[in-house]
Amino acid sequence: MVFAISGDLPFGSLSAPGAGMMPKVVTGFMILFGALVMMGAARSAPLASLDWSDRNHAALVVLITGAGVAVYRPLGFLITMSLLVFLLLVVVERRNALIAAAYGIGLTLFAYWLFGKALRSPLEQGILWF
Amino acid sequence: METVQSLILGFSVALQPSMLWYAFLGCLVGTLVGMLPGIGPLAGISILLPITYGLDATKAIIMLAGIYYGSQYGGSTTSILLRIPGEAASVMTCIDGNAMAKKGRAGAALSIAAVGSFIAGTFGVVMLTVVAPPLAAFALGFGPPEYTALLVLGLIFLAYMSTTSLVRTLLMAAFGLLLGTIGIDVMTGHFRYSFDIAELGDGIGIVPVAVGLFGLGEILATPSHQVPSQVIHPKLRELWPNRAEWRDSAAPIARGSVLGFLIGIIPGSAHIISSFMSYALERKVSRHPEEFGKGAVAGVAGPESANNAASTGAFVPMLALGIPTGPVTAVLMAALLIHGVPPGPTLVNDHPQVFWGFVASMYVGNLMLLALNLPLVGVFVNLLRIPYAYLYPLIIMFCVIGVYEVNNSIVDVWIMLIMGVVGYGLKKFSFDPAPLVLGLVIAPIFEMSLRQALIMSDGTWMIFLQRPVALVLILVSLALLALSAIGYFARRKDWRAKLAEAETNEA
Repeated sequence: MVFAISGDLPFGSLSAPGAGMMPKVVTGFMILFGALVMMGAARSAPLASLDWSDRNHAALVVLITGAGVAVYRPLGFLITMSLLVFLLLVVVERRNALIAAAYGIGLTLFAYWLFGKALRSPLEQGILWF
Repeated sequence: METVQSLILGFSVALQPSMLWYAFLGCLVGTLVGMLPGIGPLAGISILLPITYGLDATKAIIMLAGIYYGSQYGGSTTSILLRIPGEAASVMTCIDGNAMAKKGRAGAALSIAAVGSFIAGTFGVVMLTVVAPPLAAFALGFGPPEYTALLVLGLIFLAYMSTTSLVRTLLMAAFGLLLGTIGIDVMTGHFRYSFDIAELGDGIGIVPVAVGLFGLGEILATPSHQVPSQVIHPKLRELWPNRAEWRDSAAPIARGSVLGFLIGIIPGSAHIISSFMSYALERKVSRHPEEFGKGAVAGVAGPESANNAASTGAFVPMLALGIPTGPVTAVLMAALLIHGVPPGPTLVNDHPQVFWGFVASMYVGNLMLLALNLPLVGVFVNLLRIPYAYLYPLIIMFCVIGVYEVNNSIVDVWIMLIMGVVGYGLKKFSFDPAPLVLGLVIAPIFEMSLRQALIMSDGTWMIFLQRPVALVLILVSLALLALSAIGYFARRKDWRAKLAEAETNEA
């Protein structure tokens, strides 16, 4: 794939290496090392023996965090982070919604004070005015 | 004499109240980061990197380095009291540290770990003071061929020391090098693999990749029901080890300090490898190897000393040569670069206040950590009582804020999320993500050095054999590859395979 999308990058020559030399050489090495890993596959544990019991947890965390990232700019820091923590606790951890809401808002306000006020980092305002 | 004068200059910087405050802050955060499962020093440093933007370079590096060596102290607390490593270097401490805790000697184990860490950390700083300046002076004569050969040796050493396999490590390093080529080619101005995304023009940042792989990736692979919440609470009066425990820990601390520092200089995840090697060494030299696993004092003292000495040793190549030995030093290097201070041979002469202030702050930082980790251990233990289910949303929030604040870029946050998924996958398939980060960091230096060397030689590879330093470095690289090949074909278990086995059993 890297070779396919590197068409417009000149390889150059050894005395004048171009922008495409390094990516293509490194990709060549990746193909070599990948082939060697596959050759040694017989020594490894079979794929079926991998433990995927955490996959639901991982998928939910990725989905909720992804949604949070998508709305971070439009909604802003306070709303997005409160919702992110709330959803992680309620959907992934099955915690009480009221406690999750209180924890999410409290934690976000603490982070807002720490980063936005104490450390003066610019946080996204979104639809709020502060 | 010159070193003593320089060190006095360093202390005049490090003992300023503002510097002491940032050193303390770094040590405190480092202790917390080391203690809390699911967030290691790399994620901790990366998340807090944007906070240092408003500081000068000396304060920034003092605080960030404090997080690194502070995490080595904090990691032992979780290992001993919970039997889960707060960070990877504390895996070996789990075995005997927790066994000591179950016998009612939790306080003694924590004391030995803290005192061992202090002695080893201080020994590491003394060695750093002695070794780094002459090494930097020697490296001033390095040109592109020497740097290229040194980076090749670094990658091969990393692969050789790896507890997974040489080929897998090199594959990960090559993947990192490939990611490092994304963005504008500084020599020709070509855009590479940026797909018209303006943010990718500057390349992929270290922070989103590191936070994704090590912060988010770890959280994805750690469901809360797998994290135990049973914490052994040591009493303050039980903290002092008895005479026999002190006697049993003295030699392992000394051996761990020397071994750790030597391994720290070598590329790789030195602080992790050093604790494994120290544990193996202590079991080998012990008169009672059967006690290991059942609460042997040496099993705590050796590895804890080794990982602290190694974390200090890793600063030698970073400061003297400008070469990171692992992902943590890579991020620290990036922090210095962001503040306009390039680490490397010229650092000692061009920025003596930064270099010597940083070195002196580590003497002070180790003292602070000793004070933090013994009397306040009861306070820190209470943090471990917070259920992990409530802790990781906080870590995810900090990951998002930390990554976004670097460039105010949402693309960086998406990269972090993608890297989190990649990190989860790599963990499942037993690939170590550390070489990927290292490859990403050294990619620009490596590409520039290689291309400059080839232009200098008019396209002949012989330039690497004609220059003595480059030749020696290439020969060492070849020797390591040959040793690995012999081990592979002989199909026998060498020390790395045994370490990998121990890691798998204990993880």
